[in-house]
Amino acid sequence: MTNLTKRAAAECIGTLFLVYFGAGAAAVTLMIANGAETPNRFNIGIGELGGLGDWLAIGLAFGFAIAAVIYSLGRISGAHINPAVTIALWATKRFPAQDTVAYIVAQLIGASLGSLFFAASAGMDAITIGGLGATAPFPGISYGQAILAEAIGTFILMIVIMGVAVDKKAPAGFAGLVIGLTVAGVIVTLGNISGSSLNPARTFGPYLGDLLLGGSNLWGYFPIYLIGPVIGAVCAAFCYDWISSGE
Amino acid sequence: MKCYLCAKEGKSTDAVGVCIICGMGLCMEHAVRDDIAMWEGGYPFPERKMNRTMPRILCPECNAAVKK
Ligand SMILES: [Zn+2]
Ligand SMILES: [Zn+2]
Repeated sequence: MTNLTKRAAAECIGTLFLVYFGAGAAAVTLMIANGAETPNRFNIGIGELGGLGDWLAIGLAFGFAIAAVIYSLGRISGAHINPAVTIALWATKRFPAQDTVAYIVAQLIGASLGSLFFAASAGMDAITIGGLGATAPFPGISYGQAILAEAIGTFILMIVIMGVAVDKKAPAGFAGLVIGLTVAGVIVTLGNISGSSLNPARTFGPYLGDLLLGGSNLWGYFPIYLIGPVIGAVCAAFCYDWISSGE
Repeated sequence: MKCYLCAKEGKSTDAVGVCIICGMGLCMEHAVRDDIAMWEGGYPFPERKMNRTMPRILCPECNAAVKK
């Protein structure tokens, strides 16, 4: 097995790609829609130009990035690129504690670098208008509702990871494609509700970038994207173990 | 079965193995026996080399082609 430093580097690079391209797509959508009159306060600009198609595009930017990272780095580090996934694998005794800590630190660093590189590529509008693609509950969505949405979205993501990858009976070769498309699909529905982060690192990077570069301070919402995804992923891992036991 | 390579040299030697790729019968001299590394894991776990290896017999020609 590759040593922990190199595996952590792979997690860092993978999460960087995820945030740069995924969260970056959300920021670009807001920049494109900037100045347009939105029909209601639930519509903050994403959806102004293409309805749910805007969200599908953002979802696919995440999905393609995830598939690319899983296929390219999956055999090196496991390509979790998501602390919730790493924690769920640790909680079900599939992943060692020491590696879990190193992976999470690497994912948070990678996500932050992804946001900083995106800001460097796209300029100040990416921060002031695009918010670096940071997630926050949409108008009318409460803190509790956002946690629930994040938990359910991440539950589905982790059930899919268990079924198409962790389970030894899973067909080989489909994991990256199916997991990427799952995230894309979840974003279509949950994007305009909770932001559909499903991943504490994916929210951490833009939050830190916004704070460092003069954007909004959104850290009050961070617990949504920590509690929801971690609960959802851990429940899904135990749930899959239970429903697939005694086969 | 006789060794194909020995037969080409005009000798008649009993084969002790068969090349897994081309099916050529091989004597002890001509058989190339290799231990192939096995890997476990892969997404979402890092791949690791297993302690077990898988034996494989090839003829010298196929062995050279595979190694390239
Ligand atoms: Zn021979
Ligand atoms: Zn051969």
